[in-house]
Amino acid sequence: MKRFLLNWFILCLILMVSISAIAFDFSTVEESITEFTLDNGLKFIVLERHEAPVASFVTWANIGSADDPKGYTGLAHMFEHMAFKGTTTLGTKDIDEELELIAIEDSIFMELRAERNKGIEADSSRIAELEEAYERAREASYQLVVPNAFGNAVEREGGENLNAFTSFDQTAYFFSLPSNKVELWMALESERFLNPVLREMYKERDVVAEERRMRIESQPFGRLLEEFIGLAFKAHPYGVTGIGHMSDIQYYSRKEAEAYFEKYYSPANLTVAVVGDVNPKRVKKLAKEYWGRIPYRPAPERIATVEPEQLGERRVILEDPSQPIYLVGWHVPEITHPDRPALDALIDYLGQGRTSLLYKNLVKEKKIAVQIGAFAGYPGDKYPTLMSIYAIPSAGHSNQECETEIFAEVKKLKEELISTEEMEKIKARAKANFINGLVSNIGMGMQLCAYQQYWGDWRELFDELDRINAVTPEDIQRVAKKYLTKKNRTVAMMETIES
Amino acid sequence: MIKYKLGIYCLAILLLIASSAFSQNVEELEYPKLNKLEIPDVEKVSLSNGLRIYILEDHSLPLFNARLRINCGSYLEPADKSGLADICGVVMRTGGTSKYTGDEIDEILEGVGGSVETSIGRTSGSASVNVLSEYSELGIEVLAEILRRPVFDEDKIELAQVEQRSAISRRNDDPFGIARREYRKIIYGEESVYARHAEYATINAISRDDLVDFHGQYLYPENIQIAVWGDFEKKDIINLIKKYFGDWKRGDTRVPPLPPVEYDFVNRIHYIEKEDVNQSNILMGHIGGLRSDDDYADRIVMNSVLGGSFGSRLFNNVRSKEGLAYAAYGVYTANVEYPGIFYNYVATKSETTGKAINEVIEEIERMQTDPPTEEEMEVAKGGYLNSFVFNFDSKAEVIQRLMTYDFYGLPHDLLQREKERVERVSPQDVVDAAKANLHPEQMHILIVGKGDNFDISPAELNYGPVDTIDISIPSGEATAAIDISPEKVIKGKALLAEAVEAVGGEDALNKVESIRMKGTFKLITPQGEIPVPYERLYELPDRYSLKFNMMGQNVYDIFNRDKGWNTGPTGQVVEKTEEDIKQAREEIDRELLYILKQANNPDYTPVYDGERVIEGAKVEYVAIADKDGERICRLGFGSKTHLPVSNSYWGETPMGEGNVTDTYESYDEINGVKIAVAGATMLDGNKIAELQVSEVEINPAIPENAFSKPE
Repeated sequence: MKRFLLNWFILCLILMVSISAIAFDFSTVEESITEFTLDNGLKFIVLERHEAPVASFVTWANIGSADDPKGYTGLAHMFEHMAFKGTTTLGTKDIDEELELIAIEDSIFMELRAERNKGIEADSSRIAELEEAYERAREASYQLVVPNAFGNAVEREGGENLNAFTSFDQTAYFFSLPSNKVELWMALESERFLNPVLREMYKERDVVAEERRMRIESQPFGRLLEEFIGLAFKAHPYGVTGIGHMSDIQYYSRKEAEAYFEKYYSPANLTVAVVGDVNPKRVKKLAKEYWGRIPYRPAPERIATVEPEQLGERRVILEDPSQPIYLVGWHVPEITHPDRPALDALIDYLGQGRTSLLYKNLVKEKKIAVQIGAFAGYPGDKYPTLMSIYAIPSAGHSNQECETEIFAEVKKLKEELISTEEMEKIKARAKANFINGLVSNIGMGMQLCAYQQYWGDWRELFDELDRINAVTPEDIQRVAKKYLTKKNRTVAMMETIES
Repeated sequence: MIKYKLGIYCLAILLLIASSAFSQNVEELEYPKLNKLEIPDVEKVSLSNGLRIYILEDHSLPLFNARLRINCGSYLEPADKSGLADICGVVMRTGGTSKYTGDEIDEILEGVGGSVETSIGRTSGSASVNVLSEYSELGIEVLAEILRRPVFDEDKIELAQVEQRSAISRRNDDPFGIARREYRKIIYGEESVYARHAEYATINAISRDDLVDFHGQYLYPENIQIAVWGDFEKKDIINLIKKYFGDWKRGDTRVPPLPPVEYDFVNRIHYIEKEDVNQSNILMGHIGGLRSDDDYADRIVMNSVLGGSFGSRLFNNVRSKEGLAYAAYGVYTANVEYPGIFYNYVATKSETTGKAINEVIEEIERMQTDPPTEEEMEVAKGGYLNSFVFNFDSKAEVIQRLMTYDFYGLPHDLLQREKERVERVSPQDVVDAAKANLHPEQMHILIVGKGDNFDISPAELNYGPVDTIDISIPSGEATAAIDISPEKVIKGKALLAEAVEAVGGEDALNKVESIRMKGTFKLITPQGEIPVPYERLYELPDRYSLKFNMMGQNVYDIFNRDKGWNTGPTGQVVEKTEEDIKQAREEIDRELLYILKQANNPDYTPVYDGERVIEGAKVEYVAIADKDGERICRLGFGSKTHLPVSNSYWGETPMGEGNVTDTYESYDEINGVKIAVAGATMLDGNKIAELQVSEVEINPAIPENAFSKPE
């Protein structure tokens, strides 16, 4: 190890040299990965890691809230909830009887919904009658439910981090187990994508409605974000929050969720990652046995709607009892576009960390913001998306002051080339981030699935650094000029009013 | 009656079942033996100065990590400086060291994609390092600098204070944040070190000296444990730690223990009104226990059955069955040194608030009567025992746990011992633990929500007395209570006397009977700056006439002892209301010239109120208290010139009410008296106006109708 030098910038320069000189050999990680695809089109990626006798499992559906049909926003997320309700073999006291009762519940529900949707012509006494009948039917079918049997089956055997998420681009299900229980995961997880039973659907809608109240309606940032994307996207479904509109949540039926499953959860639309202390040969054997049961269905099409070019700046101001928040976003391309590495480098330099342009100016020097950051990939990454900046103004300071400084820094990016020294730092950070991203089993599983989804090949994960390393200061200036324009931006602000 | 049809859906399902002959009962699966769990062997080394080091090699990735436990916490800070430890933890890192500035440290670390962070919480402090292993020495060197030689740069202290004030201003935006914060105060007591939090006044009271003192008292090697893991050779890292920490001297302050908690069981409802939500955040429970309690293992199972797992009773019934909430959970928590909290959380729409509360109470009661079913025991115990391996799957977790156990003197195999006890827990043990520890009839129930829409009002719940909590944020220094101790009054009087001398002396001041000023104040608004020409005549003590021109319109504000007039919103001159007159009196009471003339008036008490360095110059503060000891304002004096540089108070401005600070930037001498002729006005730290005086006349001729109603 070199002796530490007094002058920090000399030090940095020397370190820069060593960065390019010492390269971590990623091939050892890459070589521990095997892959196979079942006849039904389902892809498996297996990363062997034997440090501890545990394994993590990720089921990654190439389908997210952006795929929600119109009028049924939030359905991808709703289905994610329903995937925890068990199967024909798990979660029931008597499946045949239960299915009969569920069918009765559904038909009353559909009748009730139709009556309610007659609007002014709806018959209120009929509605009351149906509501009562529906409640009885729901209670009857509930009698046959073994609640949360899926979760219990996982937890009883030592499952950890059992959860799922729905984003705009994908729905992911994951948990970890002691590594000798690979077969348990195979059995449980394959079953829920083979024979799911969407029991307790209508109560679960209420749960989702509470989730919406919690995350969006009772949260200032949630309220602002919903307006922000709604304004930025007028054609593409990235403009609707994943949890969906409240009225849609309270509308859809089990039948629609079921049809959704049929269409989008085809095995060819799924990727599975297994990371941990496993034997790939055994994983393959069990996968064939369990997951091979799912019949082939064609994968759904991509969304054809393309967000049209924005013709002028868009702005929304929310008057709210909460403190100010500032958001600005510019339309940028999807993750596989050749401009994205340069944009990612730009984002790092502009708005990530204490040495970023924005933090130095707005937080350290002017003290007009307490938090500021830039990011891309929200709402999604599969389709053209946004690069955004958020600012939390300091007490007594305004959104406008922050905006002025943000735009001044953005302008600099267009006018001045960033130094090669700064360029090297961006690359050093990318490398460190990349290596830290390899630590967790679940995290690694998700990354492999994401690259498989976006790029069609998980190996692209290991090329990520090469793409960043190829970026030049000229590239950054070029993408700044190309995308960070006035007419391409959308601004959303939360302004405080007395309640 | 309605006749039902069998849905197509149902047929589809039946077909699906038929198509899959393969069916598996997961409970009958047989698993191979679990590969042996290698619990990594942590090596411990102590340096001669008392620094304890824990080391674990991990060559899987080229990383170097460190995590430190520092034996200190905000429980050690004085209550009137709440936030001190937190700021100390932040500014240690951001404020630079004797070798590097904070900004240089940022550049060094971010240049290599690394991080070194420090923080101080309620009962412990921590530091962390994460760098690629090729920069291990860099990480250790920077860490040593930050811990040993922080210089607490004034600018970064100010930044930390701005952050704290901003957090205070935002703390009522998030309903769950409100609930968590207030519930701790309900359980541990408002003043308790386990619950109290910073306010504007406590943040404003913190000076650099306080940070230096806090650091000096508690940051020394015997008080620090350092755990390092990553891609290195043990001996190399020990040598590096020795190199950078070996000559650090032992400390001499003993860290006081955590104070005990006093708690009486009562039944109470606490209600906090939040207008902009449609969902209630509800916390219900009471004090919790200690990790060393005999029935700790029973409570692990109890927690899982009640509300700590996917299939828990709260999850099953409040969430899945009733659809009342997305978030519904509850746990009885325990700490090593002071009792935890038993809390149950549910967030439900306003209209089902009462229903959800009653459901949760019922589930807690049921814990004491209905023993866990076989299934519940299997999930709870099986879950704990079968997931035991996850306690050891990450090196970071293993080494940090060992460090914590060591700190408390707990046996290293504590987890294994607890595991053995969990294995033996019976359903009756769980009921016994619930009976012994849970008090469903004596809980504190906190509701944050919009009461108008509740199904059952807090009083109608018939649970207990209802207490409404006011969460409005107390303003800062401008209204903070003053500590009138004799020493501070002596110092305050001396400072005020020096200021009187600096502006020209008592005799010269006494000759000032009236003053006329003309100039411009410039309002700074989000829409831009608005220059406003004005003229003001002030006859001491209690008459003034202010006239200004706002965008072409003449505006008057006249005060004449017990009456006055001003231009109303419609442009008409109206008589001052009682409230206006009170406000005008308050304005005069804090008028700089007036206060300076009251230096020897026993009705006004000057109290020394701390000092700060602002832009390199020391400012000493004096709070002025009235006859009742209430704060009128707080004057800042330049320590070199002794001239007033600032005057802070709670007041009304064109931009709203708040903490107002007038600053005085330059003085002119007229008739032997120095008069401030340039300055600014700040509202809550934000500049809202600049003032420039162009003409000053002392004891001018006063027209007869100067203080009567303007024409």
